[in-house]
Amino acid sequence: MDIEPFMLRAVLTALFLGPLCGFIGVFVTARRMSFFSDTVAHAALAGVALGFWLGLPDPTVPMILFSLVIAGLILWLKERTALLNDTIMALLLSGSVALGMVILSLLKGYRGELDRYLFGDILSVGWSDAALALVVLITVGSVLFWKLNALALLTAHSDLAHVSGVPVRWLNYGFVALLTVTVALSIRLLGIILVTSLVVIPPAAARNLARSLRQQILLSLFLGLIGASGGVILSYPLNLPSGPCITLTLAGLFVLSLLGGRLQRGHQNAS
Amino acid sequence: MDIAFRSQKPAAVEVQDLHVRLGGNPVLRGVNLRIEAGRMVALIGPNGSGKTTLLRCLLGLQKPDSGSVRLLQEGPPGPGILKRMGYVPQRLQLDPSFMLTVREFLAIRRPLTASWFWRPSRQIDALLHEAVGEMDVTRLLDRPVAGLSGGQLQRVLICSSLLNEPELLLLDEPTAGVDTPGEADFYELIAEVHRRRGLTVVLVSHDLSMVYRHASRVYALNGVICCEGAPEEVMNAESLRQAYGIHFTPYQHQHPHSHGSHGH
Repeated sequence: MDIEPFMLRAVLTALFLGPLCGFIGVFVTARRMSFFSDTVAHAALAGVALGFWLGLPDPTVPMILFSLVIAGLILWLKERTALLNDTIMALLLSGSVALGMVILSLLKGYRGELDRYLFGDILSVGWSDAALALVVLITVGSVLFWKLNALALLTAHSDLAHVSGVPVRWLNYGFVALLTVTVALSIRLLGIILVTSLVVIPPAAARNLARSLRQQILLSLFLGLIGASGGVILSYPLNLPSGPCITLTLAGLFVLSLLGGRLQRGHQNAS
Repeated sequence: MDIAFRSQKPAAVEVQDLHVRLGGNPVLRGVNLRIEAGRMVALIGPNGSGKTTLLRCLLGLQKPDSGSVRLLQEGPPGPGILKRMGYVPQRLQLDPSFMLTVREFLAIRRPLTASWFWRPSRQIDALLHEAVGEMDVTRLLDRPVAGLSGGQLQRVLICSSLLNEPELLLLDEPTAGVDTPGEADFYELIAEVHRRRGLTVVLVSHDLSMVYRHASRVYALNGVICCEGAPEEVMNAESLRQAYGIHFTPYQHQHPHSHGSHGH
């Protein structure tokens, strides 16, 4: 069976980013950072718009950079002001989307691009995106495994992590940067609106079945891989945007995990 | 205060003229404190008295505006000194969605078991065997930390803080969230650890009754150290009125004494 080159690029990108989002998502959900992930994803819209405004053929770089700037702003405002996290993020999310929409409205001929970035489009995934996804998988994945103990301790108790010699502030910044790059890059597949589903649903589904952090991480990696690649593959014959297809596949996996978890507990109670 | 500073025994904790303002309000107003090595002491005070702020200064989490902290006769809390210290927080910030088990929580804190992710549980258990046996947490190893009761969690937190053989152990409101029978067991356990290991233990608490039984010295804080001494000296109505700012009748406890009899 012949595989269309664009399909191969999209599936490879999904195979690289799905497990990575699943892995990093374990810490995102446990640290209650889902809204943070959503905010930096929405911020990417302004980055995309700026990229088009600057006349760049591929807005990936400004998209990632703008998301990083917004992530940094969230941390800065959190440290320097008395504003609540939710307020800061809602402010920056709506502000970034508004900025992106205004820039795109002023540009001629880019309205069609908007849907691609909002809902994901496998046709827009180039070889450079697949290569970048592989580099990010290797880099971010290695750092996450290298700093696994420190991250787990930071998630459990930041003061305890400090006393144990973890550089809490820098680890926090580092984690936010890795999350932002991973999320921004996954926008090609899922779109701005749905990208957080790949970060949140795999660890949530894994939690229904896992009995330890190790199991949760491994299951989340696996579910991210299946959900992302399965959604991309389904989107082609169904002629649908890849974002909703990936999210619905993940939602299906979550329902299965709920049932699996209940069966598991029922079996334990019976024995 | 002068009496304490005249002591010749080495100090595990020395705090001099410590001032901290938070949000413009003076929280610590010249705290002087000297805790002898090997003692089990209690730092008591009402809510808002600066107990947590002082503890954060000892842990290097809060920079004082002025004054000094010297720990384990070496210097202010830094990476080198923190390695020689243990800390038991009130509770963890763990979300139930995080499936960290007790085994994994203990393993991540010990260099020997740092590669727990790649090793079978049996190997990790063998390496943790001694520590988990001492604190009787073997049966909890497979349990998620987020699902433990208050008493079980405190036991696990102490076990983890002892893994690296600390010389100084700081406990923040250790029985918050622990039921009354559990409290007694908990303090017995801490006292046993203190006796066996000879380390310095600092209990930060507003629980006045427990200091009668277990602490050998009590420091009452309310912005400054209002009074310090043996429990029976500090726990008189006048001293506590200074610390708590209200008239207070000391708790007439019924349980047997473990550090000699005292009248109150």
